[in-house]
Amino acid sequence: MDCVTRKLHRLVTAAVVGSFAFSSTAMAGQLTVLCWEGYADKSFIEPFEAESGCKVNAVYVGTNDEIVSKIMSGSGTADLISPSNDTTMRLVSADAVSPIDESKVPNMANFLPQFKRPAWDVKDGKLWGVPYGWGIIRVIADPAVVDPKTDTLGFLWDAKYAGKLSVWDDIETVYTASRYLGFKNTYDLSDEQLEQVKAKLIAMKPNIRKYWFTTGEMGTLMASGEAVGGNSWESTIVQLRADGKKIADLMPKEGRGGWSDSWMIVKGAESNPCVYPFLNYVSSAKAQALAHKVTGFGYPNVHVADELDEKTRATYTELGMTDPATLTNVDWWQPVKRRAKYLEIWNQVKAAAN
Amino acid sequence: MTTIEQTVEIKRTSIRSARAIERRRLFLWLVPPLAWFTIFMLIPYATLLYTSLGHVDDMRFIPGLSLDNFVRVFTVDPYLSVIIKSARIGLMTAVFSSIVAYPLAFYLAFHVRTQRLKFLIYLLVIVPWWASYLVKAYAWKTILGSGGILNVGMQSLGLVHEPVRLFLYNEFSVDMTLTYIFTPFAVLSIYAQLERVPTSLIEAARNLGADGWMIFRRIILPISVPGVVAGAIITFSLAFGDFVAPVLVGGPDSVMISNVVINLLGVAFDWPMAAAIGLVIISLGLLLISASGWLEERTQTRF
Repeated sequence: MDCVTRKLHRLVTAAVVGSFAFSSTAMAGQLTVLCWEGYADKSFIEPFEAESGCKVNAVYVGTNDEIVSKIMSGSGTADLISPSNDTTMRLVSADAVSPIDESKVPNMANFLPQFKRPAWDVKDGKLWGVPYGWGIIRVIADPAVVDPKTDTLGFLWDAKYAGKLSVWDDIETVYTASRYLGFKNTYDLSDEQLEQVKAKLIAMKPNIRKYWFTTGEMGTLMASGEAVGGNSWESTIVQLRADGKKIADLMPKEGRGGWSDSWMIVKGAESNPCVYPFLNYVSSAKAQALAHKVTGFGYPNVHVADELDEKTRATYTELGMTDPATLTNVDWWQPVKRRAKYLEIWNQVKAAAN
Repeated sequence: MTTIEQTVEIKRTSIRSARAIERRRLFLWLVPPLAWFTIFMLIPYATLLYTSLGHVDDMRFIPGLSLDNFVRVFTVDPYLSVIIKSARIGLMTAVFSSIVAYPLAFYLAFHVRTQRLKFLIYLLVIVPWWASYLVKAYAWKTILGSGGILNVGMQSLGLVHEPVRLFLYNEFSVDMTLTYIFTPFAVLSIYAQLERVPTSLIEAARNLGADGWMIFRRIILPISVPGVVAGAIITFSLAFGDFVAPVLVGGPDSVMISNVVINLLGVAFDWPMAAAIGLVIISLGLLLISASGWLEERTQTRF
C-alpha cells in the first residue's frame, strides 16, 4: 500500500467509526422542526437537548410557502413548524395542524397579553399556535430632516422629500398605502381599492430613492444620507442607533404592519413526547432572550428583557418591545387570498416610469 | 463457386458484420448525449410547459391545458413592458461592452509584442472574475453613491457643490454595472476573432499602399464582425437575465424580468405564470440565437 492509499484508508476508517459513535449516542427522543434560520440556533437548542434528552433536527425554510407546500404534500415529516401570521390560519383551515394544549405550555402565562390568544392563532375557541418571534414594520425617519413628531404616513407623499425616501420592496408597502387610504380590509382589498392603492404608490415614486431589499441595505441608505425616511424592521433602527445615528421611530395614526411567527404542531405529532417540552422551553424568558441575541426579533415573554445584558436590554426596551402600548394600533398580517394580484399590483408600481 | 467469389463473399459478410458492430458502437456512443439531452433538456422543458398550462388555486397547483398565462404575459401589465425593459438593458450592455472591449482586444491582438505582456493583459481581463459578482456590483455603490468616490472627488475639485444623485439608483447605473461585469466576455470573443486575421493579408494591403485606417476599415473590421456579434449575444443574454444589479444599484423603476419571475415563485407562489414567462423568454432567446447564427454566417469572411 502506498502512502496515499494508506491515508485514504485511515480516513475512511475514521469516518466509519465516527458515524457509529455518533449513532450510538441516540437520544431519548427526536424532534424535527421546520423553521426559519436562527429559530433552532445551537445557543439555545443545545441546553434543551441536554435537559430533555430530545434530539432536535432543524430544517430551515426561506418562505412560508415552503412550509405550506412541504406540509400539504406530506414530503416534510416535521413535528413542529414556525409559520408567520399570514400563513397560520391557512394551515388551520387546511386541517394540517393540531390544537395546542395550553396547560402543557405553562410558560405562556408570562406572555404579553396580545400574544396569549392572538387572532391569527385562534379558531373555534381553540389555540393552534404558540406565538414566538415578532416585529413591527417601523416607520422611520431622520429627525434632522423629518419632524420626529410626525404622526401620519402622509409624509411619505410630501414633495419636500423628493428622491429621499426608501420603502420595502415587498407587498407590505402595498399594505402601507392601503392603510394610508383608510381601507380597513388591508388584506382583502377589492380590485377597485387595489387600483387606488396602485395610483397612490405610483404617486409616491418621485420620493423614492430606492426600494430596499434587505434591512441592512435600508440601514446603509439612511446612514449615508441617500434616504431620510421610510419603513423598515427593528434591526435597522438598532443598527443605526448603535452607530450613533439619531433615528425617529414614528407612530403613524394609520397604524403599522406587524408580523408574528407561531410554533405549530403538525397533525399527528402531538403524540411525540418531545413536542410539548420543546414548546414550553422556547416560551421561557431565558430561551427567548438567547434567541433575541441571534435574531434581534421581539419575543412574547414579558421577562425577556430581564434576561438580556444591559446594553441589549436598553435597545430592546427603547423599541418598546416589552410595552403593551407599542402593540396598540398594529395591523397584524393576515393571509391574503389574492396574493398573486397584490404582487402584480406591486410589480406594476415598480415597472411604472417615475 | 470460385475462390474469387468466395473471397468476395467473405469480404462482404465481414463488411456487413463490421457495419453492425459500428452501428452498435454508434448506439453506445449516442446513449450518453441522448441521456444528457433527455434528462437536462427535454424533461425540464416538458415540465416547464406542463406547469405553464396549469394554474394555482389557493397554493395548490391545478394542472390544465390553458394558454391563459401566455395571454397574460402579453396583455397584462407589467410583464411585456418589463421584458422590453430587460431587453433594452441587455442591448445597452451589449453595445457598451463591445465599445469598451474592441480597443482592448485590438491592442491585445496587434500591438502587444511580447508573449509575457499579452499574458499579463489577458490575466487582468480574467482576474476580476475571481471576485464574486456581488462584491463587484457592490463596489459600484461605493463609487457612484452620494458619498462615493466619484462625488467626493468632483466636490473636492470644486466641479460641483452638491453631491450628484444621478449616478446611482437608476437604469444608467444598472447598465454601467452590467457592462463592467460582462465586458470580459466581449473582450475574449472579439480577441479570438481578431487573432484569426492573417498577417499576410495586412502585409499585402500595406504593399499595395493602404494606410492604417484603410486596413482597419477594409480588412480588420469586416473580419472581426462575427466576434463582435458573438460577444454581443453573450453579454446581451447575461444582462437580460440578470436580477442582482437592479436590486443593488437599480432605481425605483429598475425591475427586470428575472426579478418578476423570482417574485412569482417566492412571494405569489404562481409557478404557472413564472413558467409561462420562462418559456416566452426561452423562445425569444432561441429566435435571437438563430438570428445571430445567421448573422455570424453571413458576416464570416473566408480566406
